[in-house]
Amino acid sequence: MTGWARRLAAVAPPPVFAVAGVDARHAVQDLHLLPGLRLVDAPRQASVLLLAGRLTDQLLDAAVAAHDAMPTPRGVVSWQPDGGGPPRGPFTGAELVGDADPVEVIVALHRSLHLGVRASTPTIQPDVDPAPWRGEGPYGQGGSGMTGGVPYGRPMATREDDRDGLSLDALPVPVGPLFTAFPPGMSARVTFKGDLVHRFELGPSPYDDVRREPDVFLRALTEPVAVAALEVARARALLRWTAWALRVQGLDAQAQRVLALARAATPGDEARVRRVRRWVTHPLVTGRQLRAIGRVDTDALAGLAVGPVGRAAGLIDDLRAEDPAYRELGFTPITGQAGDVAARWQQRLSEAEQALDLATRAGSLRTGGVGAIESPRGRLTADSTPTTRLWSLLPELVTGVEWGDAVATLASLDLDLDELPAPIASRDVA
Amino acid sequence: MLATFGAALTVFVAAASAVLVLRWAGQAITAAPLTAPERVPFTGGEPPEFHAWSRYHARYYVMALLFLAFDMEMVYMYPWAVVFAREGIVAFVEMGMFITILLLGVLYAWRERGLEWA
Amino acid sequence: MTGPSLPPVAAVTLVGALLVAGVYLVAVLDRAMGAAVAGQRDSVRGLLLTPVRRAAALLVTSPSGTERPDAPGWVIAPALLAGLAAVALATVPLGPNLMVADPATGFVLFSAAIAFVMIAVFLHGWSPNAVWPMHGAYRYGAQALSFQIPFLLAMLATALPAESLQISEIVRAQQDLWNVVRQPLGLPLYLVVGVAVSFWGPLNLPDAADLAGGTTAEAAGVTGLVWQLARAAMLVAVAAMGAAGFLGGWWGPWRPGAGWMLAKTLLLLVVLVASRHLFARVRIERFVVVCWAGLIPLALLNIFISAAWLL
Repeated sequence: MTGWARRLAAVAPPPVFAVAGVDARHAVQDLHLLPGLRLVDAPRQASVLLLAGRLTDQLLDAAVAAHDAMPTPRGVVSWQPDGGGPPRGPFTGAELVGDADPVEVIVALHRSLHLGVRASTPTIQPDVDPAPWRGEGPYGQGGSGMTGGVPYGRPMATREDDRDGLSLDALPVPVGPLFTAFPPGMSARVTFKGDLVHRFELGPSPYDDVRREPDVFLRALTEPVAVAALEVARARALLRWTAWALRVQGLDAQAQRVLALARAATPGDEARVRRVRRWVTHPLVTGRQLRAIGRVDTDALAGLAVGPVGRAAGLIDDLRAEDPAYRELGFTPITGQAGDVAARWQQRLSEAEQALDLATRAGSLRTGGVGAIESPRGRLTADSTPTTRLWSLLPELVTGVEWGDAVATLASLDLDLDELPAPIASRDVA
Repeated sequence: MLATFGAALTVFVAAASAVLVLRWAGQAITAAPLTAPERVPFTGGEPPEFHAWSRYHARYYVMALLFLAFDMEMVYMYPWAVVFAREGIVAFVEMGMFITILLLGVLYAWRERGLEWA
Repeated sequence: MTGPSLPPVAAVTLVGALLVAGVYLVAVLDRAMGAAVAGQRDSVRGLLLTPVRRAAALLVTSPSGTERPDAPGWVIAPALLAGLAAVALATVPLGPNLMVADPATGFVLFSAAIAFVMIAVFLHGWSPNAVWPMHGAYRYGAQALSFQIPFLLAMLATALPAESLQISEIVRAQQDLWNVVRQPLGLPLYLVVGVAVSFWGPLNLPDAADLAGGTTAEAAGVTGLVWQLARAAMLVAVAAMGAAGFLGGWWGPWRPGAGWMLAKTLLLLVVLVASRHLFARVRIERFVVVCWAGLIPLALLNIFISAAWLL
């Protein structure tokens, strides 16, 4: 009976919890398209831990916590899509993908785990109670009588006054780098009062400063690049963001559709992108749910040049308008008005459509200026990135906001933590 | 009459028991003692600092009071629906007055932002 | 006058069979619609077998646990939800002479079953003693309190033409004209709150993606499996009652019987399951305001239109 259940389980699509290093984020996102496996939000739903790309110490610690949270039978797969070193730390025994298809390796691992061919990986952290009880507490708990028993060792949240006069508990929670609804890699210490965010303390970027293969936007900082290539890359980046944001809003199937388009977008696809835009931003689908939340003060945004976020609030701020190649193509920046989350969605999809249209007509034009370029997130220079400029605005943007709205707001800002300067005390990475 | 409630109760107990049996079967199949690190709730990478159990500030308490009022209204509407066709226009008008008064309460709560909380 | 009721064994078997078939159907429909919206092709064999395989995978995975859970509560919550779904389905008459539990106050029994779903979901979110499940539990509290009244009002309108709270009488009163025609607002309202009751798709606030899975974030293995099964069972019960109350139950163009009931339930199930892939998750605050300031007036309008029609 159990053998029969295990045989069925062995051929089920394996649920995978992915930990993506900075160079593997897109590769991991693309795994959503493959029907052979299922990427999940919580390690407790997963049977395979996928370590993709180069992991810094912070991500490795988080991966260890995720690994131990996974239920048995569990296994670990290490994947280096762009070539790289072997898995580090406690994961040296992980299954390597190498040149094979990662889905095949994961499916094979899942099968061998359930058929008993392979043992589940043991717990990595020591089996020590992280919060042991140490006798009687300050309020008499752990003693005798009504407050007796064996209480649990973690402290309880304490009360704080609230604006509606009720003094109830404020619960600080470390929301780590592996929280799938956050921009990849973001960690924060969120103090909840009910489901409102009372305090939001951002953590450091988990990505390091090691040089990567520069993408077309970084190359455009130093040399003129073809406008067509640049605009196609822009459209793909914006569509990729849309796919991720759709997943955060609960529309997994639509996210898959947009992701497939994001990978394959070519200059002839404006009509498809326009259909996607009309459908996705329709009031019934996402539009009405994303209105009137996440507004940033336009004065605060005025000098920041943060691309679609600023333009959706009505600021006409696009470096491409000053580029002679774009002027020749008749480029005018698209702007929105509302400046809320729905406007940013509309803005990014409109810009993706516009980018493909420009790419179709661009021919062999090349960008004019060097030194500063309009990336999909905003003005990018060698020293200043859009995410860095937005970073200080984040805490006040989500404070006092209900958690679902806070998550939608952060998602709408299209933050890339790789653009942040590396942590000062960056530890050694192989 | 009691037979029908008996049937409903039997169905309830049977369904709940089926779930409990399935759960027991699952635990019996996978019996493995959990180590301490496996028990830590996952919030994204770092272990939690506090109990989750706390005096949670459920901000919809005003709406809950409104719900109580409307739930009592529903208690009156159940028998009203059964006798309505017999009683005719009088019943219509009476229930209309009752509901209008309650709706004014909802309108007030809406205006005073008692239904929102952020 | 209450309808005939089945002996206990037959009742349990019938409801059990319907729920098992219904839950499997929900899983298959969900996969099929997800694949259709995503633009992917899925083989028929894969479509039919994957839900069974996934259930088996959950069954043989360790159920895990947290540091200081409310263990009895965690065990009770899915059992309670499944029991409530079964009771809700039991009150729905399947055919002119095929009723499991059809008391004279069947509507009240159904509403009571729906009301207790809040307890089950809250318990499921509270028990693990973890942050994301707890947020899911409290969100569902707001959701449940809000949809209860529109739900009751929308269904109450169907009791007016029948002059009875007995569900089989409500179906019999639709012999000439289905309620979806003479109370056009009723079915859309019912579908919205039906999705809210089973926290599916756009109203899946307790198990939301922005809570890393919410109440299911700490539920591994068989714990997660029974929760998904109970939730799908609730969806089936909601679809069945919708078919009985609004689409004329067992009445059809020819030969009234259980076959029509099953067909209509299937239709509503398709609509309910599809909502997951079409609409984004709603904001809880907005849902509360829409329920109180929008759906309740609409439901009352529905009642008064049908009341005026009857006079």
